[in-house]
Amino acid sequence: MSDIPGHLPHRFPFLLVDRVVAREIGVRVVAEKLLTAGEPYFLGHFEDRPILPGVLMIEMLAQAGGFLETEPLHGQAIFLAQILDARFKGPAFPGDRLVLEVRPEASFGGLLRIEGTVSCEGRILCTAKLMLKKMLPPNAPGSVPGAPARQGLAEKGP
Amino acid sequence: MSDLKLRVKTMIIERLKLEGMTPDQIDDTAPLFGDGLGLDSIDALELVLGIEQTFKVKIEDEAAGMQAFKNVDSLTAFIAEHQPA
Repeated sequence: MSDIPGHLPHRFPFLLVDRVVAREIGVRVVAEKLLTAGEPYFLGHFEDRPILPGVLMIEMLAQAGGFLETEPLHGQAIFLAQILDARFKGPAFPGDRLVLEVRPEASFGGLLRIEGTVSCEGRILCTAKLMLKKMLPPNAPGSVPGAPARQGLAEKGP
Repeated sequence: MSDLKLRVKTMIIERLKLEGMTPDQIDDTAPLFGDGLGLDSIDALELVLGIEQTFKVKIEDEAAGMQAFKNVDSLTAFIAEHQPA
């Protein structure tokens, strides 16, 4: 799958998936991100020693997780609601081709929990579990009555 | 307190890391979400996973799940009804 912008609303410089190489809806997604020397975050992180900020690996997994969904995510309000057990095992540099693999763990009430791995040439660089929240209209099927969103989450908007 | 109810409360405490809380302190009929224990939707998904792993009960029907999450009594009844023999 190569029409990434057709599915994800993210755009340069924050579209962090280049292509999807395997996609079984609701089961597994394998995507890739090629780190070029021109990525804007390499300019200052760091000036003489470019290295991918670890938090961006988390964002890459979240974006790859978007492809577990059948429908394009345009116009939907989706937030990162929780990060669990994030481990950064190695650095990523310009020129690295990162493989992003995600699987769903569970879903309930508009929340999807996924587990993901970022690797490069067989080396695991990052593993994490992420909770993604799709905002549902109040009283829609699947919204948990009396269960407010985490404080602060509701105000952020799409 | 029934054995199952005690296990349900213990699972809630462990799963949601309600540190310092004992099973006795969780009211059987107080709402789990909102005013009672004050849980939120992220906790709900954590409980769905906890129930699946601890009691081998899958909550696939969200409406039924939300009924079950009303309080400890309803959750215990739901698990008792759906638990594999």
